[in-house]
Amino acid sequence: MEQEKRRPWRRWVVLVLMIAGFILGGIFVPVSPEIVVAPEKLSYQPLFTLPVIGSFYLVNTLPTLAVTLVLLMVVAYFTNRSLKKSAQTDLIPRGIGNLMEAVLEIFYNLTEGSAGKYTRMIFPWFATILIYVLFANLLKLLPGFESIGLIKEAHGEGGHAVTALAGNWALLTAEKGEFVLYPFFRGISVDLNFTVSLAIIAVVMIQVVGFRAQGIGYLSKFFNTRRMFKVPFFGAMDFLVGLLELISEISKILSFAFRLFGNMFAGIVLVAIVAGLLGRISILPAMVMMFELFVGVIQAFVFGMLTMVFMAQATQGHGGEDHGDGPAEARSEVHEI
Amino acid sequence: MEGNILDAMRYVGAGLAMIGAAGAGIGIGLSVQGALTGMARNPDTYGNLLTNMILGIAFSEAIAIYCLVIAFLMLFKVV
Repeated sequence: MEQEKRRPWRRWVVLVLMIAGFILGGIFVPVSPEIVVAPEKLSYQPLFTLPVIGSFYLVNTLPTLAVTLVLLMVVAYFTNRSLKKSAQTDLIPRGIGNLMEAVLEIFYNLTEGSAGKYTRMIFPWFATILIYVLFANLLKLLPGFESIGLIKEAHGEGGHAVTALAGNWALLTAEKGEFVLYPFFRGISVDLNFTVSLAIIAVVMIQVVGFRAQGIGYLSKFFNTRRMFKVPFFGAMDFLVGLLELISEISKILSFAFRLFGNMFAGIVLVAIVAGLLGRISILPAMVMMFELFVGVIQAFVFGMLTMVFMAQATQGHGGEDHGDGPAEARSEVHEI
Repeated sequence: MEGNILDAMRYVGAGLAMIGAAGAGIGIGLSVQGALTGMARNPDTYGNLLTNMILGIAFSEAIAIYCLVIAFLMLFKVV
């Protein structure tokens, strides 16, 4: 058996890039970041003003939202075209249709394991939230996001001096000065508007799925008067537990929103601070960014999975605890790995 | 020393808020222990256990992230 000589070339590419990062770090010195929780306004005038709610500004995260939605629509269009083409010829999916079908089948089997007969109602929510949050989390790692933007005067302390580059562009240097950077693109999952709105949508849809599955009997989860007249003491306790469930639904909104926001915000703060402190050793911010990639995927999965699990729990009443295990579980063992 | 007391207490508060992350560390360790024990006893259920372990880790980590959010709110002078 003869073997061709393997030439490992990727390690040299990584080494060259590390050295280039070290050299470029001396020219374009990384600055310590200014971190704000709220997204910055890119224009002074609001876009439009509604009478009661207030004025809407063109905020940092809106261009990123536009890019995310355009990217999602492009992927959806090409997947649709590939699947239609394979449906006409020999029913074997190829290319991007194959990839999307394989990925979604994993999550469909997961949903089937938990939901049983309501899988068709629940799965679109799981998959939509997963894909949307996944694209949102991964897009903020591309170069250019959160580093290219407008340079404005800093109100208050902090700020860096600028040196002028070609044309209208300038670069923040490490000395103290008066300018800060308002990035053009900021990750949308770092904006509380995105996470809280997605959390409210998810929790409202959990209640809707509960009502669809159980009818008006879904309210017995919150106002539990089942045992109140038979066994008064336990019945009263059940009633109070039911009221506590109502509060727990509200806390689900906060939990969803702040889990995603906190993870993503901690991610960009970590990358910015590591880059500001040790930016010349460019492998270190790169490793933090790789961790961010992992965390972004996990958080998208967890958001979707929790929505799915709560929806599946909402479809079950008292005593309907035994859901479809048999064939779904056997199939999911074949497909999982 | 100079500086005002409000800023100083903000920094102290941010540090104290992160004590809550210790509970999250213990929780993640316990859930990974359970998952690894299960995987060692029954390697066929590796995929199932991995999925549920990741889910459990995300729950525990969320508590640490709540503490981190309070610390950030204090550090960056939002509250």
